[in-house]
Amino acid sequence: MTSLPSAHPVTSRWKAFLAVGVVALAVSWGFAAQGLSAHEHRPALSVLVGGLFWTSVLIGMLMLTMITRVFDAGWAPVIRRSWELALPGLPTVLALSVLPLALIPGFRHLLWEWTDAHHVLPSGHEVGHDPILQSKAWFLNGPFFLTRVVLYVVFFGVLVWALRRGSIAQDSDRTAGHTHRLHAVSAAGIPLSAVMLTMLAFDCLMALSYHWFSTMYGVWFFALSIRLALAVTVLVTYFLSRGGWLDGILNQAHRHVLGCLCLAFTVFWAYISFSQYFLIYTANIPEETFWYNIRELDPVTGAKNQWWGVSMYLIFGFFVLPFLALLFYRTKILAGRLASVAAVILVGGLVDLWFNAVPRQITTPGAPEGFTVTPFLSSGLALDLLAVIGFGALVVGLLLRGASRHETIPVHDPRILESIHYHE
Amino acid sequence: MNERNERIFGVSCTFRRPSDVYRAAEEVRDAGWTRWDVHTPYPIHGLDQAMGLPRSSLPRLTLLGGVTGFIIGCLLTWYMNSYDYPLIVGGKPFWSVIYPFPVLYECTILFAAFGTFFGQFVFNRLPRHHHPLFDLPQFARVSDDTFMVVLEARDPQFRLDDARGFLQSLGGQEITVIRD
Repeated sequence: MTSLPSAHPVTSRWKAFLAVGVVALAVSWGFAAQGLSAHEHRPALSVLVGGLFWTSVLIGMLMLTMITRVFDAGWAPVIRRSWELALPGLPTVLALSVLPLALIPGFRHLLWEWTDAHHVLPSGHEVGHDPILQSKAWFLNGPFFLTRVVLYVVFFGVLVWALRRGSIAQDSDRTAGHTHRLHAVSAAGIPLSAVMLTMLAFDCLMALSYHWFSTMYGVWFFALSIRLALAVTVLVTYFLSRGGWLDGILNQAHRHVLGCLCLAFTVFWAYISFSQYFLIYTANIPEETFWYNIRELDPVTGAKNQWWGVSMYLIFGFFVLPFLALLFYRTKILAGRLASVAAVILVGGLVDLWFNAVPRQITTPGAPEGFTVTPFLSSGLALDLLAVIGFGALVVGLLLRGASRHETIPVHDPRILESIHYHE
Repeated sequence: MNERNERIFGVSCTFRRPSDVYRAAEEVRDAGWTRWDVHTPYPIHGLDQAMGLPRSSLPRLTLLGGVTGFIIGCLLTWYMNSYDYPLIVGGKPFWSVIYPFPVLYECTILFAAFGTFFGQFVFNRLPRHHHPLFDLPQFARVSDDTFMVVLEARDPQFRLDDARGFLQSLGGQEITVIRD
């Protein structure tokens, strides 16, 4: 325990990861700027999708950090430090994606059509005269929207800073007081973060199609976030237990816990996603159903469009496959199998974000219904992947940079021995 | 010997410390015994491995119950709403997998719970109102401060004198023959 964390060769690669991230993000933003001059929203949407993918992962890690602290989870400390080292990525990713997209008027008008009073709707009317928007204006108005976006960066930044600072301070001053204080911080942080992540999901995803509303959208985003966070945790701990700082520390019981949580939140995600669909399907109110209609049917012919295939992938690739695989005990304890399922969940999470963020009604004056729907297959997917890789490299770079400067497990946490010797 | 075996349930011995019973369990496991048990006042972590117990196969019955429940839910809703008394509700199809999903889901859960609950009765051979160990005076102390190993006569390698000697070699005290 006295050896310096820099003994792990893997941490020295942080500069390479940050460099990859910066280059990929520069290219992503370059395409977005080019799209701005051509009045194309898709490249800017790629930056948003890439940013939200990692925002989602990191919000999940933030919630897991606080939840395991509140419940005094004995298994968690050895893994929790890796979350704490990755968490500075949360305000960073938000500040490099959502924040500039919302603050720069050109991007804001491209992505959030309701912010542009002169945007023409498929009905031929301008957004400024839309009675639906007028009745939502107490929430959806420019100043309040921008205030909220800034608030997300500040709130998550402060919370992450507090959680990480106390935990790292414990490494040197060896007092249990940090554990008690962070217990209280987490207890307060969980409900506050729940409100914040709900508003974030409303603002960054639901408001992309501002006529539509779903009160369970925040819960869906929470479920997705935890699933993605667990998948990334499984993959990161998989690599770290083979030549990283968890080599010889991570054991079968830790994997079993992560696997059980993956299964639980796979079911929870399916429950929430289906319930949202089910209520809208059953009530059958046009102002709600249009959101699912453009994700299944061509507006003119009524035939299935590309998004139908995407939604089938969500059902079978993002729910049924991981669910059935994770039912088996051996999937949860064998490192290779668990990591494979985590990779499937990670891909499915991106597809789910695509499903939620990309389809929109693009006003097309010649079209029979006045609009066309963004297709799934387009060059935009490559830009999305570039942004996901860019933000991902940034997050991993920050994690490794943190690991090169601090202890990689909380060596003086009161539960560190319990965590290391954790068994089923 | 065989005639006597039919009336003997097994041989028991007691231990005073968890570490002793843990080590004894490992030796019984390594000697190849299959019909035997350890009784302790509280759960001892790692004792399952020391006894060489496999994981329970109860989850298979849970899965079987769940699949059965899902199919029963499908048949139930299809028969009622689409076959026996076709009814238009909210303009939806007579039967699809969407509108009755809460029913399918609840049937899956219910039957998975049935599979687990009744399955554990089968696996634990319950209900059972009496057990030969209950006649043993020292068995009451197993819920207090004593640990007990029982070698059962059902085991193929059970020979009364060998079993006694084996338990003695493990350091067990109060070696007792239990009548069935």
